[in-house]
Amino acid sequence: MERTLFFSGNEAIAHGAVRAGAAFACGYPGTPSTEILQTAARLDGIHAEWCVNEKVALETAVGASLAGVRSIVTMKHVGLNVAADPFMTLSLTGVNAGLVIVSADDPGMHSSQNEQDSRAYAKFAKVPMLEPSDSQEAYDFVAEAFALSEEFDTPVLLRSTTRLSHGRGQVIPRVPVVLGPRDYARDIGKYVMVPHYARMRNRLVLERLQKLRARAEESPLNVLEAGTADVGIIAAGVAYAYAREAFPKAWFLKLGMSHPLPYRKVARLFRQVSRVAVVEELDPFIEEQVRALGLPVVGKEAIPADGELDQDIVFRALEPFLSRRPPRRRRPVFPPVPRLADPPPAPGLPVRPPVLCPGCTHRAVFTALRTHRLAPMGDIGCYTLGALPPLLALDSCLCMGASIGMMAGFNQALGRKAAAAVIGDSTFFHSGVTPLIDAHYNAADGLVIVLDNRTTAMTGHQGHPGTGLRADGSRGPAVDIQKLCEGIGVRCHTVDASDYGVLEAAVKAEVDAPGLGVVVALAPCVLMVPEKAGEIVIDDERCNLCGLCLDVGCPALARGEDSVSIAGSCTGCGLCTEVCRRGALSFAGATGAGTAGEGAP
Amino acid sequence: MSVTTTVSLVGVGGQGILLAAAILAETAFAEGLDVKASEVKGMAQRGGSVLSTVRFGEHVWSPVARYADVVIATELLEGHRGLGLLAPQGTLVCATTTRIVPGSVLRREEEYPDDLPGAAAARGARLIAVDAEALAREAGTLRAVNVALLGAASVVLPFAAASWQRGLAAAVPAKILEVNERAFALGRGAVSNEEVGP
Repeated sequence: MERTLFFSGNEAIAHGAVRAGAAFACGYPGTPSTEILQTAARLDGIHAEWCVNEKVALETAVGASLAGVRSIVTMKHVGLNVAADPFMTLSLTGVNAGLVIVSADDPGMHSSQNEQDSRAYAKFAKVPMLEPSDSQEAYDFVAEAFALSEEFDTPVLLRSTTRLSHGRGQVIPRVPVVLGPRDYARDIGKYVMVPHYARMRNRLVLERLQKLRARAEESPLNVLEAGTADVGIIAAGVAYAYAREAFPKAWFLKLGMSHPLPYRKVARLFRQVSRVAVVEELDPFIEEQVRALGLPVVGKEAIPADGELDQDIVFRALEPFLSRRPPRRRRPVFPPVPRLADPPPAPGLPVRPPVLCPGCTHRAVFTALRTHRLAPMGDIGCYTLGALPPLLALDSCLCMGASIGMMAGFNQALGRKAAAAVIGDSTFFHSGVTPLIDAHYNAADGLVIVLDNRTTAMTGHQGHPGTGLRADGSRGPAVDIQKLCEGIGVRCHTVDASDYGVLEAAVKAEVDAPGLGVVVALAPCVLMVPEKAGEIVIDDERCNLCGLCLDVGCPALARGEDSVSIAGSCTGCGLCTEVCRRGALSFAGATGAGTAGEGAP
Repeated sequence: MSVTTTVSLVGVGGQGILLAAAILAETAFAEGLDVKASEVKGMAQRGGSVLSTVRFGEHVWSPVARYADVVIATELLEGHRGLGLLAPQGTLVCATTTRIVPGSVLRREEEYPDDLPGAAAARGARLIAVDAEALAREAGTLRAVNVALLGAASVVLPFAAASWQRGLAAAVPAKILEVNERAFALGRGAVSNEEVGP
């Protein structure tokens, strides 16, 4: 047996992560969470990085998890607000390798601007919440959290509080967890949260919550501890330690996994004793759920709802209640399993999903990117439609601005340029700048393609800082994306997206170049360019229906009987003439033969 | 028809479903009725299916309804889909000569449905088939397919001609009002009472 260690909760979490096989850690400093990552950075076998903020940290960790590496993200409670956007949808996509988010609450606000209770986020996102009560549990629960994450395909929240993070206790080290490889497999239905796929994943989340509750009922993390007094206490986290010291003879239901709540274990405690109290720091999170079962408890009418607890506060608060006449015994009423909405009827008719517009120049980016073996991390905008058939050109869509952080984490985890990021101009300004700064700062490898169509197209052409167009139609200063990137220190090229040869060459150059680079593919949204660029014609003799032009996914092109047919919706963008190897597609009036096909993939 | 009448308008993004719905709502207002409406349009600009629902009556509570008394479809496949939204004995008014073929059909993964009259009969629905493209062209612009079809549907809707006129004037931009009035009149004239039946 190795010697017993004396760790703070934060040190224990870091060591526990390494012991659990986590190889990627990131976060943003915030009291009382900071020392977790500081400790991890000193340990072997785990890559640790400070990120620019908690949102980027979570997205980076998601990228590393997708790449197949167990990842842990650390932040203080209010940091989870910043990370809430990726967090809420991460619940739907789930993970590849396990992903654990540590949120450290600060009851008493020793150094915080509010006193929010992170457990509300577990309920909000329908993910499990683990609450260790001392350093040993902090160390052990991290491995439990990773195992749950992979078994149930969910991120797992681990709540610390100031006294756990900054308290110290003995830790007996455990045998390191040995992990098999967890290769990345592209799965658009799981990782690209466009409405159609998100609806399907959401149903799985609701079912997963029921399975997690069944697990909470049998999990050794939730222990019913026999006492000798006719008093039961339900507690989690460090509050358990206070209550245990204050009432040594009481029965305890110790919840290591406080969400979802194991209803039947709660009911079992009520069968053992005639009075039950819930002891928890901050919100009546457990208490409200117990009351909803119709079971009488003592809770926040006695235990302060603000500030820190200790054994003295707990004893003085509960003593008068527990010596009173016990309430009438009641039978619990377990909540029903919620029903899900009727699934939509099987279509039976051809579906009509939204598509990239005919003539959308940015379609060319997907054509240029597809020849390289990079996992394209996507973002939110028209171009997310590139994930749908026939292009199938994006691997992920998590939330606004997530593409760059996910790319960085993916590449950091694998130690090479394995993923690219595809993001629109408006999305880039929304939240793509911070992860670019982060990727540069942490020396992540990668290729970011900004699809700059000079507008916020998906929602109907609103202005953004890159255009300077304001809501009232007036013009303000326009921010230059290339100058912005160069100001950060990132290599950046702006190319005309309508010139396929130039675009393809720029993408290839960045794929081959070391380190991080940005290509701004510039071409205005085709819906803002009313006039037709030219008439495309097909030479039936030359067309052999090879399908290369159909692969660009333009709705104006269709497979005809003997040759490809061109619909009236064609805008004459000419991308199909670029990819055709036989010179069958050309602009009317041009010679057609010989010129087209150069530089085709 | 029930106390509250529901009309659903279905089509493909860019076909002017929302404008047609606005005209219908304004017409109902002109009749002194209460109106509620809702639309799903987030993907409208990207060639996806668009659904707009207009409900009118003495007092309307809900902005949506699972089934419609009348479905107006600006495209044939969407007309087929619209049958699923139709209440028993409802009427489908469909631009049966307008086909906008979705990608899955272009790629030959799915088949474009045929025989709308058969499908409507199987469901017990009344079908009013309209060559709205021809009417819109005659009116002066192909873009008026939506309004030509609304003209055809007006035959089965309980509004006075004057109310339709006020509805058009209120919802259609002045610049294109005239051509749309022509399209509406052509659509209304194209459906004889005989065709509508009892």
